[in-house]
Amino acid sequence: MPVSAPRLEIANVIAGYTPGHPILRGVNLKAEPGHITVILGPNGAGKSTLLKVIFGFLTPEHGAVRLAGSDLSNLPPHQHIEHGIALLPQGRSVFPELSVLENIELGGWSMRSDRKRLREAVEAMFARYPHLRPLQHRVAGSLSGGQQRAVEIARMLVANPSVLLIDEPSAGLSPIVAHQVYQELVALKDEGRTVLLVDQDVRAAIAIADYVYVLNSGKNDIEGDRAAFEGDLGAMVRGWLGV
Amino acid sequence: MLNQIATIIADGILLGLIYAIAGVGLSLVLGVMGIVNVAHSAFLMLGSFFAFELFRRLAIDPTISFFLAFPVFFAVGVIVYRMLITRVELAPQTQGLVAMFGLMVLVESLGTIAWTTDTRVITAAYTNRSILVGPIMLANVKLIAGALALLLIIAFWAFLRYTLTGRAIRAMGQNRFAAMTVGINVQALSTIMFGLGIACAGSAGVTLGMVFPFSPNTQILWLAWAFLVVILGGLGNVANTLLAGLVVGLIQTGVAAFLPFDYVYLVLYVMLAVILVVRREGLSGAVHRWI
Repeated sequence: MPVSAPRLEIANVIAGYTPGHPILRGVNLKAEPGHITVILGPNGAGKSTLLKVIFGFLTPEHGAVRLAGSDLSNLPPHQHIEHGIALLPQGRSVFPELSVLENIELGGWSMRSDRKRLREAVEAMFARYPHLRPLQHRVAGSLSGGQQRAVEIARMLVANPSVLLIDEPSAGLSPIVAHQVYQELVALKDEGRTVLLVDQDVRAAIAIADYVYVLNSGKNDIEGDRAAFEGDLGAMVRGWLGV
Repeated sequence: MLNQIATIIADGILLGLIYAIAGVGLSLVLGVMGIVNVAHSAFLMLGSFFAFELFRRLAIDPTISFFLAFPVFFAVGVIVYRMLITRVELAPQTQGLVAMFGLMVLVESLGTIAWTTDTRVITAAYTNRSILVGPIMLANVKLIAGALALLLIIAFWAFLRYTLTGRAIRAMGQNRFAAMTVGINVQALSTIMFGLGIACAGSAGVTLGMVFPFSPNTQILWLAWAFLVVILGGLGNVANTLLAGLVVGLIQTGVAAFLPFDYVYLVLYVMLAVILVVRREGLSGAVHRWI
């Protein structure tokens, strides 16, 4: 499913949960279409906070979040879907008492006025992830961690977003399932989507990255393409993160 | 004797349906939004007076008022949400509780000014008539009120289960953050949901007013019934709320058949205390159960 994705740009963003006490202190980055842009950094660096700012959960005190040049800084979260931005949050985020089918359908909430299109989009997800079809009437909370992750990814993709914000996708998953998740992120990138990945699994994230930013204490620290991080710089970052 | 038992059971079921509908809106608002709406019963009372005034002034039958109450009280709920709830929903729960308690006192006081504390009844053409269904004698008014209550409960259940908006409401109760990530405008949906809760209260108030005498002060008693149903049935689950309502209705008619009526409340409140002790969590724990 080729996607025409825009560039996501974060320009000098200052933001936090309490006014006057910013977590992000002037962050700049660009995420290009058809690329996986990885954000690394120690705990408390502001990685997840940055995703919350991009998706509208937090309004920056200063700076801008731009998509293809349009400023999204003041949009509420539900309007980001309409701009083609989707967020896969950290940890389990299925609706545990709803069925797999109901979970995936809700991913197309923004298409609810066109039921035919929504049905086709849901069907496309079952075609993309055929192992979910036999589970469609199962309650999502009863599935394994890997199956729940697949439901979350399918739900995220129903509206065919062009920009994907991914927060710790392998957290709590077995190594085999985590590997499958990273391969899926590569497939999504190859479809032309803009992928912004926040991760603590430095090795796995760098392995699929096109470009890497490291945040420290809410500021840009170092950055470079994958090749730069696979060499000495990679070892330095891993040592710095203690992994 | 068997006929008497059958009548008691049928009577209890009809009353139970009315209690269930009194608890549905409260259960949903508490289960999904975490708001302990102690003003719910004030809207039950307003629903009764809504039917009373339409009947007295315009001779509109309560069965019609039941359907009219739903959109009217939905609008009232939306206004209350926008003016009051949005200011306290992110505050600690005690602050919201105090706000809702204040609203309850305000509505009751305004009700007392408007209608005094005199007890009222709605005497429709069918109020004092009964029908013999096989060996069972049923009061027409309870039959009609019970049927209306069942209709609303089924409609509510179907809405939550089979519509995308209903599923979004359930999703919001299960994981509010994730609901926002799929593009659900939780503020707009909360407004709809609170409106539906109050709409349910308004229509339920009509059925209560058809069956029971009422005054502005009666709402406190109805609040206890509604909470009894919610605590017994759990939150946000319409089927369980229906079951809990039926249990309360059957206990009431069963106890009233063999003991003086005052014992009904003794039994119900002892039951409430036992449930709270056995569950050991009360409402605050119950809020975290998923819809």
